[in-house]
This record gives sequence, C-alpha cells and structure tokens, in this order.
Amino acid sequence: MKVRGEQTLPLEPTAAWELLLNTDALAQAIPGCEGLVPLGPDEYQMKMKIAVASIQGLFAGKVRIADRNPPNSYRLHIEGQGKLGFVRGSGLLSFSPDATGTRITYEGEVQVGGLIASVGERMLDVTTKMMIGHFFNNLAQQAHH
Amino acid sequence: MIPQSFEYSAPESVSEALRLLGSVENSRVLAGGQSLIPMMKLRLSGPAHVIDLGRIAELHYIAQTNGSVRLGAMSTHNQVAVSETLRRSCPLLAEVAGRIGDPQVRNLGTIGGSTAHADPAADYPAALQALRAQIRLVGAGRERTVSAEDFFLDAFTTALGEGEIVYEVIVPADAPGLGSAYVKLQQPASGFAVAGVAAQVAVSGGQISVARVGITGVGAKSYVAQAVENALTGRPATAATLAAASRLAAQGVEALNDLYAQADYRTHLAEVATRRALEQALALAR
Repeated sequence: MKVRGEQTLPLEPTAAWELLLNTDALAQAIPGCEGLVPLGPDEYQMKMKIAVASIQGLFAGKVRIADRNPPNSYRLHIEGQGKLGFVRGSGLLSFSPDATGTRITYEGEVQVGGLIASVGERMLDVTTKMMIGHFFNNLAQQAHH
Repeated sequence: MIPQSFEYSAPESVSEALRLLGSVENSRVLAGGQSLIPMMKLRLSGPAHVIDLGRIAELHYIAQTNGSVRLGAMSTHNQVAVSETLRRSCPLLAEVAGRIGDPQVRNLGTIGGSTAHADPAADYPAALQALRAQIRLVGAGRERTVSAEDFFLDAFTTALGEGEIVYEVIVPADAPGLGSAYVKLQQPASGFAVAGVAAQVAVSGGQISVARVGITGVGAKSYVAQAVENALTGRPATAATLAAASRLAAQGVEALNDLYAQADYRTHLAEVATRRALEQALALAR
C-alpha cells in the first residue's frame, strides 16, 4: 500500500533534520516502540508493541536510515515480524522550509502480511495512516519542548 | 480458533466491574463479544483477564425521560431495533440497529460495546452523530458525559479513558414532524458500511428547517457532515437542494481505501448514500 502525506514541525530544517535522526526522539515517536538498539551505522534493532482496537502484538525488527542528504532528505526503512505477521515499510522523508517551520513530506510503501493482513485487510489503510499520524504528532510534541 | 487462556470475571454491578478494571493488568471489558471474541479466537487479541458486563442488570434498559431516550450500554442491537419507545420517539436509532450485521450479531452485540469499539465502519456512530447523542462514561468514583462528536476521536479510538466504561447512550426524542432515514451501502460479505448515512430532516413552509447528517464508513471516524447540513438549512425542500448538498458529503474527509472500495469510489458512494438518505428522510418529514 502506498502512503504519502506531509506534516509541519515548528523547527528550522536543520533542527528538524536532527530531530528525525535522533535515536531517542525516533524511539519515542514510533508508536509502540520499546527502544532502538544500535546494530551498526544507521541501523537499529527495534521492538514494537502494537495495540489497535482489541488487537495486540509484539513485533521485533529493524530500522535503517539510508540515502542521507542533509538537511534535505533521507530514506527510512522499517521492518518488523511477530506472531501476527510482518510489516515492511520504506519511505523518503523530504524537508523543506515553510512559514511556520519545516514541512516534511513523506512518500513510500508499506507492506503488511500474515495473519493480521488476511484478517484485518479492512483496517490496514486506516491503521497505517493513524500510526504515521501518531509518529508525526509525537515528533511535533518533542519539537515544542 | 481457540483463544489463549485468560481469567474470567462476571461482576454483577458496575462498581464491581470498575474495581476489577482498575486492579487487574491487561484486562479487557467484554460486552456482547462480537468484536473482541473473534479477535481472541484468532489470537490477534490475548487479554489476561476478561471482565464480562453481561450479568450487570443495571446496564440493561431503554427508557424515555423528559425529551430523551436513555439506553443502557448492554442493550443489544435487536432490543434497540424492536424497541417501541424508540420506534415512537427516535426511529432513526431503531432503524440503524436493525441494519447492523446479521441476526446473530444483533442478538448479542450491544450499543455500549459498539460505541466503545469505535470501528470506523460501524453503523451506530452515524446515528449518534446525526442525533447529537450524548455518551455517559463512568469510572471509579467519577462520571462524565461526552457528545458523540467529541467521543469518536479516530479509528478505534475514543474519549474513553483508562478505567472507564460506557454506561449509557442518551439520544434526544424527535421533535414532531422530523423525518429520518439510514442508508447504507455495505460490504456484501461483512455487512460493514462502505458508506452509511443517517439523516434527519424537518420542513417548515417549503423550506428545510432542520437537517442533521451523520456519516460512517467513509473516513477514519464517523462524523457530522457539517457542510451538507449548512447547504440544506433554510433552503427550499427540493430535489436540487438535496443533490447539491449531497456533493459535500465527504468534504474535508480523507476517504478510506481497502480492497473492496478505493478512496474515490468511497467518496462517490458517500454522495449517493447521502442523497438517498436525505430523499427518504424528506419524504417522511411532515
């Protein structure tokens, strides 16, 4: 499934860029993330606890940062696997200055498979969008502090 | 199709249910079980403790008070659909309840459970938005009443706080002359709304004096179609007015996408369902 959208953070592009590459900030912003452990340069191990509606599940996976082009864009890869299935996502995040701070546009693809996808197809689109929304809202909150 | 093992409690009072809810870890409240139980059987959900509200007599009622009808959270969809009180005072809610799922679901599923679950394609939220319903929530030693518009926050996300349950839903009794209708274009297998529109219309001197429209299934959450209501109120009660207003059904809403209906198709269905619901409601308005 394709995802795209944009969000504004009340920060200068360089500050927004730094926030979105800060491991602690990312760990706090990724919904359900229980910490990022460095595996190598730009690669982290991640545990995620997902709870949507009555569905709960643990996912273990990786977050990888690629194609760094500071402070304009980078590519974020996320993959996770658990008893409920798997999630793989990859998206290009682009930063551009605007009147109130930095506009971050994202464009990418998310794949969900396994039990959760076969049973919850109807909910995938809405849940994915909701989680991306939470991610940026969490970042915006951190930007305010 | 066998769930993980879990502890089970069936309290007989709301206060006991709230005490359990506040004291056991990883617990889920069970109402009619039409959403939670399938998820548990598929092991997509594995609560450690299930608190069943089914034996709490105080949550089973449909009662008329001055100007409104109050429905205990454990009223089943079928009880709502056949309620004489509602057929007389708020037929829209009865009509919507009768369109939910199938007879098995309607005999077990409850208004409180459906409301708390907040499925973006559930039927009740369309009616609760159109009716400007109030939802009364109780927690240990506290209670509050939230409007439907403030209750449904996002897909599967409500204003219900930690340790709170839905106690009752309160809908206003219809003013004389109000016509109402629910039109649902549904996913044929699941019966869930792809676009579900609950509408109420009143006419005075050839003009639309009251227009209320609630929509489910189209966006991430149910909503009041404010633009549609504004385009109707005070205008001549004609087919042209209804058609023009219906075009605003999904204005400002990011429509959902799934294998059955893509966003642009869903947006179109929202318009069609809105127009049909308004036509039916207008035909019943006196």
